[in-house]
Parts: sequence; C-alpha cells; structure tokens
Amino acid sequence: MWSEKYRPQNISDMIGNEESRSLIIEWLTKWKKGTKPILLVGPPGIGKTTIAYLIAKQFQYDLIGLNASDVRSKSQINEILLPVLGNVSVMGIPMIFIDEVDGIHGRGDFGGAEALIEILKEPTIPIILAANSDISDKMKNIKKVVKTIFFKPIPPRLLKIHLENIMVKENATLSLGSMIKVIEKSKGDIRSMINLTQSFVTGFDPPVEKSFENINVEDGINAFFKANSIDEARSVLYSIQIDPKSKIDAFYSSILTSNLDNITLAKFLEIISEADMLYGKIMKTQNWRLLRYLNEILIKLYKNDQRMRYSQYSISWPLLNRIRWDGKKIKSVSSIMAKNLHLSSSKFITICFPYMMFCIKNNKLQLDSDDIFYDIFQKEIELIK
Amino acid sequence: MGNRQEDHMLLTGMWVEKYRPSKLSEIVNQTEIISSLESLIKDPTDMPHLMFSGSAGVGKTTTALCISRQILGEYSRDYTLELNASDERGIGMVREKVKKFSRYAGMVDVPFKIIILDEADEMTSDAQTALRRIIEDTAKYCRFILIANNISKIIAPIQSRCATFKFTTIPEEEMINHLETIAKKEKVKADKNGLKAIYDYSEGDLRHAINLMQATASIGEISEVNVKISAGLTKTSDVDDILKMALSGKIIESREKMIELIKVYGMSESDFLKYLNSAVFKINHEKISSILQVIAKYDYRILVGANPEIQLSSLLAELGKLEK
Repeated sequence: MWSEKYRPQNISDMIGNEESRSLIIEWLTKWKKGTKPILLVGPPGIGKTTIAYLIAKQFQYDLIGLNASDVRSKSQINEILLPVLGNVSVMGIPMIFIDEVDGIHGRGDFGGAEALIEILKEPTIPIILAANSDISDKMKNIKKVVKTIFFKPIPPRLLKIHLENIMVKENATLSLGSMIKVIEKSKGDIRSMINLTQSFVTGFDPPVEKSFENINVEDGINAFFKANSIDEARSVLYSIQIDPKSKIDAFYSSILTSNLDNITLAKFLEIISEADMLYGKIMKTQNWRLLRYLNEILIKLYKNDQRMRYSQYSISWPLLNRIRWDGKKIKSVSSIMAKNLHLSSSKFITICFPYMMFCIKNNKLQLDSDDIFYDIFQKEIELIK
Repeated sequence: MGNRQEDHMLLTGMWVEKYRPSKLSEIVNQTEIISSLESLIKDPTDMPHLMFSGSAGVGKTTTALCISRQILGEYSRDYTLELNASDERGIGMVREKVKKFSRYAGMVDVPFKIIILDEADEMTSDAQTALRRIIEDTAKYCRFILIANNISKIIAPIQSRCATFKFTTIPEEEMINHLETIAKKEKVKADKNGLKAIYDYSEGDLRHAINLMQATASIGEISEVNVKISAGLTKTSDVDDILKMALSGKIIESREKMIELIKVYGMSESDFLKYLNSAVFKINHEKISSILQVIAKYDYRILVGANPEIQLSSLLAELGKLEK
C-alpha cells in the first residue's frame, strides 16, 4: 500500500502545514509537567496522526496511541490511561496520542469525555489529541483545557509535487487528466490521493466514486442495488463512510419509497430492523467494536434490483409537513392539557382529545377565536368524519 | 411548583375534571381501599410510600390527588410533584426533577412532600433500579405514590418499599349509577341502553366513560345510537384501522397512518403496541396467534433497538405478508 510506503519518515519530509508543525515541535521542546496538552484539528489524511508518531520517534518518547473507539467510557479511559500517567518512571518516557476525540460519544452515563477532561487538566506526560472537527459541545469543553493547533488541507500545488515524486520513485506514469482528477477528488487529503493514484496506475480503474472513501450516500445506495455481484455490492457498502445511524436510515427510506412488492418489502425491512437492533445494542452498551458487523447485516439487502432508488425521506410530503407544523402545535396542546387532566400526553391525545374536539364541533364546548390553539383545533375539527 | 402552567379554559368544561372527586370518601367503588387508606393517613407522619395498581380509569390517580390534598391541605399544589413516566424521557429527567423538588424540606408546616409517579410500570427495569435509589435518597422529606397498571412489571425491591393497594375494576351497575348521576346534574337525558353501551365501550374505564358520555351528549341524548356515533372517535379506532390495512397488504398506507399517530399526535410507541394488541382481539382472524407473535417479536425489538419507527414499520410489513 503506497499510502503506508510513502508515509513520511521525518517531520521534515511532511508536506504542508509548516507553521502548525513548528508549533508542535516548539510545544514539545518546551514541555514540562503541567503544560497544556495539544489538540490537532483538521480534515482526514493531512498528517495529524503522522506528526504525532514522528514527533514521538524523533524526541524518543514511547507513544501510546489510542483511538477514540478504545476510550469511550469513563472506566475504559481510567483503565488505560491512569497506569500510564502514574508510572512514568517504569515505562520510560511515555506520550499519549488520542485520535478521533470528536468520536467519543458523549452519553452522560458513561462519562468518557468528562473522564478525559479530568486527565487533560493535570497532564503528567505530553498528550496529543486529534479531531476532525472542534465544533461540538463536547469539543468545546475539551478545548478549554488544551492548546488547539489547526491543520489545513494540503494545497493542490504541493499535492502535485508530492504525487510526481512518488510517480518517479515507482517508475509509473499517470496522464495529466487523471492526475488533476486525483488531486481534485482528494480535496487535500494526501492519504486518499495516494490510494487513489495507486489504484489508477495498477490498472484498477473503476469510476472514482466506487473506488475509495467519501462516496456520497445517494450514489452509494444506487450503486449498491445496481452492483453485478455481491462482492461489488460489499465494496460499495464499505465505502459509504457515514455514521451508522445515517447509513441505516438511508437504506430504510430508500426501501420504503421504491415501490417494492410486499414480500420483498417485508424481507428488506426485517433486515433493517436487525441492523437497528445491532445499533441499539451498541448505543446502549457503548460496545463500538460490534459496529464491524453492521455492514454484514446490511449486505443481506443485496439484490440487483432495478426498482431500488435512493430517497432521503420515507414519508410523504403532506405527512412530513403535518409532523413539522401540526405535530408541534399538538404537542404544546397536550403538554398543557394532559398535565391538568393528570394524564400522560399519549393517553390524553388518544382518548380525551378526540372527544373534546367533537364537543367543540357540536358547540357544546366554547372555543374562543383568540384561543392560543384556535388554528389547530379548527383543523382537527375538520378532520372528524 | 411555581412554574405550573396555566389551566386552559376548555378544561373547566370537561366533565372528567368537573366531577373528579376531591375527597377520598367521594371515590367510586374502592370502599375497602379507601377506608384502610384513611386510617393510614390519620397520622400522616407514619404514612409509608404507596403503590396503587389496577386498570385504567378506576381511580388510582384521583385517590393519590385526594391523599395529597388531605395531608397537605392548601399547600398540596406546591408540595406535590406529579410525574408521568411515559412522558419523561428516561430516568435522568425523573432524577433531575425529583432531586430539585426534594432538596429541601417544606418551608411551611407539612409533614413531607409528595411525589406522584404515574405509569411507573412504563419504566425499564434499569430505570426502576435507579428509581429505587431515588426513593431511598429522598425518604427524609418525601413520600412516593407510585401508580401502575400492572404491578408485576414493577421490580421487587420497589414493591417491598411500598404499601400496595390493588384497585378493582368498577362493576357495571356502579359505573352506570355514577354516569346517571352526572347526566342528571348536566340535565342530559340518558336511557339504560345508552349507558350500558358506554360501559361496554369503555371497558370499565370510568374516565373514558365520562368523556364518551360528554361527547355523546354533544349530539343529543345518551342513547345507544348516539353512543355508537361518538365511540369511534378515539385514536384507538385509528389503530384498529392500521391493523386492518396492514393485514390486507396495504403496508405503506398503514405505515403512514402509524407515523401520523406517533409523530403528529404523540401517541407513545408502547401505547400503540398496547392498542394494537387489543385491536387483534377485536377482529376475527384465523391467524390470530401468528399476528400476536409478530407483535411480540417487534415489541421486544423496540426495547433492544434504536429507532422504534423502523421496528414498527417492519412489524406492519410482516403483518402484510401474513395474509398471503
């Protein structure tokens, strides 16, 4: 794999983000107990992980690399990190690198992010964090206790030079058109660019969308059901790189809107139901390693089926609008009325509300035209058969 | 609680509120329970946590409210916290609200604050375990009145912390007498067949019966014909329709209707399943046990899964397949 082969061996071999790189070096050379950890923020494939490994190597630290999937709960964080933090002398000079911190799921019960923040507040060894984005609430809390360094996508000019160097070393050629396509597609992501290039020059030249990460959902779902073999479908499935919930939802809504016969519909929905159960278990137990089985459940949907089309929404527009507008109003009606009638909202709306509307319709309960719920009541009254 | 929302004007016109008993002695039917409760609260400081079980509309919530009023008097509104487990999103919300409410003893001379937790059997066993802690932590200043339809869905440690009262269903005669009294006060004509129809339709649920009678009265006298016209109004009839549509293979249509009930009207998934279950027994279908098996399968999957809408859609699709 070229992307591993050409992973830089020294910090000076890296391309782009010179300023950020020197900030990191400066941080580590001046590091002493209590110095704030650093957080590297930027899109994938531009060297955040690489620089963490290289700087540890060059400054002779033992890098303990963790992926956010290793540290999702409070107990896991404490189990893995506390021994490292406490036993500096035994272990040599450790340095901690936590990748994808924005991937720690902030479920209150598990306290992963909180436990991490406690550790970050009083660092006894250098800690480097990396994230794709720093905008979530959880990241805001983390940002308070770290120094943030931004990494920008690599400009096309530098990518081209880098690419040409690799082509020379590999004794390969690539047409200028393909090269531009590769650079454009990679959007500043070096790793993706190198991977794509490798697949091009080795003659594997499927449409770009199918060949590597960042395939969009719509094309992905459509390609999945147009695939000619299960292997092709599988590779499409694995390259739809979105969060599991969106992936399940995308298949779900597409299945429901593709005018399938009842037998196929039931069969497909059962598979989606299974996928949702797996996802539910993951969310409840935070055992994210189970996620690897999701695609193998979804692959059961594969069937070359010309009827299948991607759709984002699974319900009709009128109903969507009703949920959006009427749903909101009805919710505020029941939140007031159900409490006063000492009922749950659900029971209120099922039993009392229809009778109440009926009485208004028959003028036995008086509805003022300045009633805050006047519009929605009128609408509901018209719906009574 | 200070932030209590204002009453809506329409509510005062609702007979269920107008004729809700305000004293224990006015409660319909539950004479044994009421007399033992009355002696239990004679010295309020001795009152244990209470648990009321029994089917819908037999007076559990009303009894709890009466107790609160009788013990706390004029302070009952401010020193009673009413929660409905089916409305609160998870135990976290319950914990927060209870914590806030129970933090300090009352400023006035009340023996304790009262927390009424309705539909407690809607809580998962995890949530109930957490609730057990909450009950212990707040015992100093608070008494809980837990209300459940089905006591077997309440975990044993909670049951053992409460004095349990099982409310019986209201017999036909007593219900009809009560309805008749209300009809008289409202000056509505009611004949025996009409009242019996109300009783049959409401399945012993007095709250439902009074609502149904008021709706019927809005079109005329309480006769069997008029009751039948009003009886189809509730959203449970929509659930009946959904089942029929699904079984006849109209999957997409029945799913849209299901989503409308849940997402537009806010029917809870667990209520939906409950009504779906009773809908099965109303239709005459040869595959009744297969239908119930399918429902059971997805009832479980909802507990495990992440998205109830997906599970319910799959449920309807599987029902649509049965007929063939």
